[in-house]
Amino acid sequence: MTRDHAAAVLDVQNLSVRFRMRGGRDIAAVTGARFSVAPGECLALVGESGCGKSVLASALLGLLPANAQTTGSAVLGGDIDLLTAGERTLARTVRGRRIGLVPQSPAAHLTPVRTVRAQLEETLRELTGVRGAAAVREAAARASFPADHLDRYPHELSGGLAQRAATALALIGDAPLLLADEPTTGLDRDLVERTVDELRRHTDEGRALLIITHDLAAAERIADRVAVMYAGRIVEIADAGPFFGAPGPRHPYAKGLLDALPERDFAPIPGMPPELGALPDGCAFAARCTRADARCTTERPAFDDGLACHHGLTGRASHSLTKAAADA
Amino acid sequence: MLELTRITAGYDRRAPVVRDVSLIVGHGEAVGLLGPSGCGKSTLAKVAALLHRPDAGTMTLDGTVVRGWRHRAPQEQRTAVGVVFQQPRLSADPRLSLRELIAQPLRSTGRRREVPARVAELAPLVGLSAELLERRPHAVSDGQLQRACLARALVLRPGLLICDEMTAMLDASTTAALVAVVEAYRAESGAALLAVGHDRVLLERWCDRTVRWGERNAESVPLG
Amino acid sequence: MAETALAPLPGRTTRRIRVATSVTIVVAVALAVLIVPPLAQLDQQAVDLSNKLHPPSWAHPFGTDDVGRDLLLRCVYGLRVSLLVGLVAALTATVIGTAIGALAGSFGGWPDRVVMRIVDTLSSIPHLLLGIFIVAMFRPGVWPVIISVALTHWISTARIVRSEVLSLRSRPFIDAAVSGGASRVRVIVRHLLPGVLPQAGLAAVLMVPHAMWHESALSFLGLGLPAHQASLGNLVQSARGSLLAGDWWPTLFPGLFLIIPTLALAGIAGAWRDRINPRRKSELML
Repeated sequence: MTRDHAAAVLDVQNLSVRFRMRGGRDIAAVTGARFSVAPGECLALVGESGCGKSVLASALLGLLPANAQTTGSAVLGGDIDLLTAGERTLARTVRGRRIGLVPQSPAAHLTPVRTVRAQLEETLRELTGVRGAAAVREAAARASFPADHLDRYPHELSGGLAQRAATALALIGDAPLLLADEPTTGLDRDLVERTVDELRRHTDEGRALLIITHDLAAAERIADRVAVMYAGRIVEIADAGPFFGAPGPRHPYAKGLLDALPERDFAPIPGMPPELGALPDGCAFAARCTRADARCTTERPAFDDGLACHHGLTGRASHSLTKAAADA
Repeated sequence: MLELTRITAGYDRRAPVVRDVSLIVGHGEAVGLLGPSGCGKSTLAKVAALLHRPDAGTMTLDGTVVRGWRHRAPQEQRTAVGVVFQQPRLSADPRLSLRELIAQPLRSTGRRREVPARVAELAPLVGLSAELLERRPHAVSDGQLQRACLARALVLRPGLLICDEMTAMLDASTTAALVAVVEAYRAESGAALLAVGHDRVLLERWCDRTVRWGERNAESVPLG
Repeated sequence: MAETALAPLPGRTTRRIRVATSVTIVVAVALAVLIVPPLAQLDQQAVDLSNKLHPPSWAHPFGTDDVGRDLLLRCVYGLRVSLLVGLVAALTATVIGTAIGALAGSFGGWPDRVVMRIVDTLSSIPHLLLGIFIVAMFRPGVWPVIISVALTHWISTARIVRSEVLSLRSRPFIDAAVSGGASRVRVIVRHLLPGVLPQAGLAAVLMVPHAMWHESALSFLGLGLPAHQASLGNLVQSARGSLLAGDWWPTLFPGLFLIIPTLALAGIAGAWRDRINPRRKSELML
């Protein structure tokens, strides 16, 4: 697995998003995010709600509100910077065609008054110019959406089928990058597993997948690499195998998050994340960290070698981690 | 503590969501009710919380047969059951600060004098700082709001706590923290728990025993 | 993207100008109707037959009417009456509508069905017709007009408030309040009503111009205020004859006095609606 900038489907460098709030307050929703996703690879961006991961996804799609300010770059396919491309370019050539979006709540993503078939037909016509029942059936089949349910309306579908219909729509443009924003929220465990397995299948066909989730079990099942976000910063990027297995995560926050799972220690990390509008000078996690010392509270750790921590847990980086850090 | 016998409930009498379901939660017992989403387990939870009148069946709460639901249930009976819902955003009145949110049940029951002391006692337990208590729901995260909703459910010291998918929207650490708060309260008060959810691993770790919706429904006999 | 995001959106600027203009007009109108009458040297009722139907001049900026009264002063007085009728009628209608809508919505079941059938029946009758029917039962005056407008305008408010209450009622926070021991009254007063008040207030402001037009329509038809009282409707009505003779000012100025303040009020109400209605999720989308 070699990853370099040219081969990456998406290459994000130093991406920051600030929100200017009423009263002149600034909120640092995302700070200095660096990562890349290669074809056939799945990167899971994990973190608790409010850590900035959804803002990051919106920034990539150009869907931030007017009071947001972005810096850095997010180069798609080596030729287009998503942060500077205008709305016209994003709407005409990027969304649907080069980035397929698998939405958080498929029921809300589908038009309630039109059948799945009508929506697939329209998207097919728009994105590929192809018409005809055969193409619709084929598009549905790619997301394992049953052909005999095509004439149903979204409210007549179960949560799982609605998710497949939304995925079928996302796949039509044959986009090289799939972006899934919390695709499993509110789904049952079985459905979560089916959904992520299907997303994995699409990744194995050569697409790049960026999945944003707070569900660590789903991330473990699908991801090649994991990026952990805390208080707007990516604090660790690691290969999924060693991260979830041995030797485990290197950042104390990531370790805490895994230990909180009911299948592990079921022990919460003490305290709560800091406000994004009032981040401390040092490490944002220091106040909750058992390993923190004076340095942690004064000096913000740089993101280096796939880790932003003064006291990384397992110290040593695996071979592929070095690679991950190199392209980050 | 709670005994539901052959409950049928729903929003349309011709198509009940819950059909002939029975469930027992013993004193001090923690029961997990597992089921896929949309199966009607939330409706059953609302019946048990005295918030939804069933079409048929009987319910006994702490030895007393329940005769009415919602406002038809006596205040003492309603407040003996604490509820936490899945979506904290929807379960919090957007106009109230977190402090007021937690204090509401005390005010509703004419115990406003206890507000400062009780809120001051609960806030650190659920991990809310004094500064967070003054904020309104739109200015806090889902996790922080759910902490306040849990405090509200505990403020009247209920003998039975019903958590309907309490942690479905939350991350692993907040989930573990809220479950720890519930368990600390139960250890100290001896309260019973009905935890409804779809996460088998979580409920099996949390509860004394878990009941699967499908199995119980198929048998239609009281379990426990 | 960063640059474009920082520049103020053009839509926002025009909206600000619109709101500022509306507010200025409404403030000016309020000052005019409050301050002018006590300060005015002229008597608005003063008939001066030697001066009748003078076109606008320095002495009479709006001209004079067919019995020689100063039209500017008549218009200010007319606006005063129309505004008063509009405000009181809109407030009354809002109180009635909110009460009925909130009760129907929070009780549900058969009381709700009965009330909503009555509302449907009433709204199937053209409300100007219903209003005419109501004023016809009283002697001409300010109060019959107010009652007529109020009794025909609460319906839309009741509908809005009821649907708002219904949507709030099924929200889990109401369940949480019930579970916390809140009584029926407490649920309505503490949790349902505060949630619908912004909508009801908006409906009230939107209704003021509507009620003013209604008053004018009734007066224009000769069913509203007594002819000697200077309401805008009466002014337009009495100017009809002179309009046919080519004298345009007795119709134009009262007409403008009706149109401009009502548009300004509607402008403010519209801006308010934009603020409360599509409650943008949050400035920060975390």
